[in-house]
Amino acid sequence: MHEAPVIMLGGFHLDLSAVLMLFVSMVIVFVVCRLSVANLSVENPGKFQNFMEWIVEFVQSIIGSTMDMKHGKKYLSLGLTLILFIFVSNLLGLPLGFITEAHKPEMIFGHVIEATKGLTGGEHAEILWWKSPTADISVTAGLAAVVFILMNYLGLKYNRKHYLKHYLEPFPIFLPLNIIENFSKPIALAIRLFANIFAGEVLIAVIIKMKYLGIPFLGAWQGFSIFVGGLQAYIFTILTMVYIGQTTIHEEEH
Amino acid sequence: MNVLWENIVITMLSFGILYWLLHKFAFGKLFAVMEKRRELVQGQLEEARQTREQATAYVEEQKEALKQARQEAFEIIEQSKQSSSKQARDLLEQAKTDAIRLKDEAVRDIESERNKAVDALRGEIGSFSVNIASKLIEREVESSPTDQEKLVNQYLQEVGRKS
Repeated sequence: MHEAPVIMLGGFHLDLSAVLMLFVSMVIVFVVCRLSVANLSVENPGKFQNFMEWIVEFVQSIIGSTMDMKHGKKYLSLGLTLILFIFVSNLLGLPLGFITEAHKPEMIFGHVIEATKGLTGGEHAEILWWKSPTADISVTAGLAAVVFILMNYLGLKYNRKHYLKHYLEPFPIFLPLNIIENFSKPIALAIRLFANIFAGEVLIAVIIKMKYLGIPFLGAWQGFSIFVGGLQAYIFTILTMVYIGQTTIHEEEH
Repeated sequence: MNVLWENIVITMLSFGILYWLLHKFAFGKLFAVMEKRRELVQGQLEEARQTREQATAYVEEQKEALKQARQEAFEIIEQSKQSSSKQARDLLEQAKTDAIRLKDEAVRDIESERNKAVDALRGEIGSFSVNIASKLIEREVESSPTDQEKLVNQYLQEVGRKS
C-alpha cells in the first residue's frame, strides 16, 4: 500500500502530495485558460479560442439541460472551473507515478514524514508523491463540500421559503429523511469521483506489475481512463448544476 | 485511506482560488468575446437574410421586365407582319388596277384605230367603187354624178355594217 507523504505542521496534518498535485492541476488549468484567452478575436478566432469556446458551449449545454439559462448564466464560471479542474486532475495520474521507498524515518522541510515514523531495519514504506489529486478521497470530499456549501447557500439566498419548506415535504415527519438526503448528495459526489479515479490508478499499478506483458493492457486501460476521467468530470459538473437547480429554482405548480 | 480534514480545507481553498483567478483573468474576457461573436454572427445572418430578400425581389423584377419586353417584341413583330401584308395587298391591288386600266386603254386605242382604219378604208373603197362604177357605167353617171355617189355610199355603209 502506498502511503501519502504527510507531515505534521503546527499540529495540522499536511499532505504534501495532495498539495503538490492540487497546485499542479491549478497551474495547468490556469495556464491553459490564460493561453486560450491571450489572443481573443471577434472576427477571426484561433484554434485555441475555438477549443475553449467549444468547452464553454458544452458547459452551457450542461447548465441549460438542468435549469433555465436565465438563472444558470452566473454558474457558468463555476461549471467551467469544475469540469476543467476535475478533468485535468483525473488525467494527471495517468502518464506517470512518482514513488519513493523509505527504509528509515525521512525528513522533509525539517519535518518527519508520518508514514516513515518508527521504521526500523527491514521494514519499508512506499511514499506516493505524484498521483491524481482526485484519487484522494479528502480532495474529492473538499470539492463535494464546496458544492454542498454552494447549493445550500444559494438555496437560502434565492429561494429561502421553498428551500426551507422542502425539508418538511411531503409530511413534516420526513424531516430527518430530507436532511439525510441533503447530506447524501455531496458524499455520493465525493465517493463516486474518488472511487473511479482511485480504481483506475490501482489497476494501472497492478498492470505495471505484469512488466512487459502488460503493455497492451496498459495502453487500453489508459485510453479508457481518459474516457472515465472526462465522464466523471462531466457527471460531477452536471450533478452540481442539478443540485443547485433543485435548491434555487422553485418550479411553479402546473 | 483515512480522510484528512486539512486536505478537505486545502482543496476547498485551492478550488476557491482557482475559481477566482479564472473568473477574473480568463473567463470574463472569454465570455465577453463570445457574446460579441454571437452578436456578430447574428448580425451577419440578418444581413444575409436581407440581401437574399433583396436579390429575390430583384430577380422577380427582372423577370417581370423580361416578360414585358417579350410581350412588346411580340407585338412589334405582329404589327410589322400585319402592315407588311397590308402593303403587299395594296401593291397587288394597285398593280391589278393599273393593269386593267392599261388594258382598257389599249383596247380603246385599238378600237378607235380600227374605226379610223375602217372609216378610211370605207372612204377609199367608196371612191374606188365610184371610179370603177363610173368607168363601168360612165354614161349614166356623167349625167348626175353626185346622186350616184350618194347612192354608192349608202350601199357601202350597209356592207360595212354587215361585215
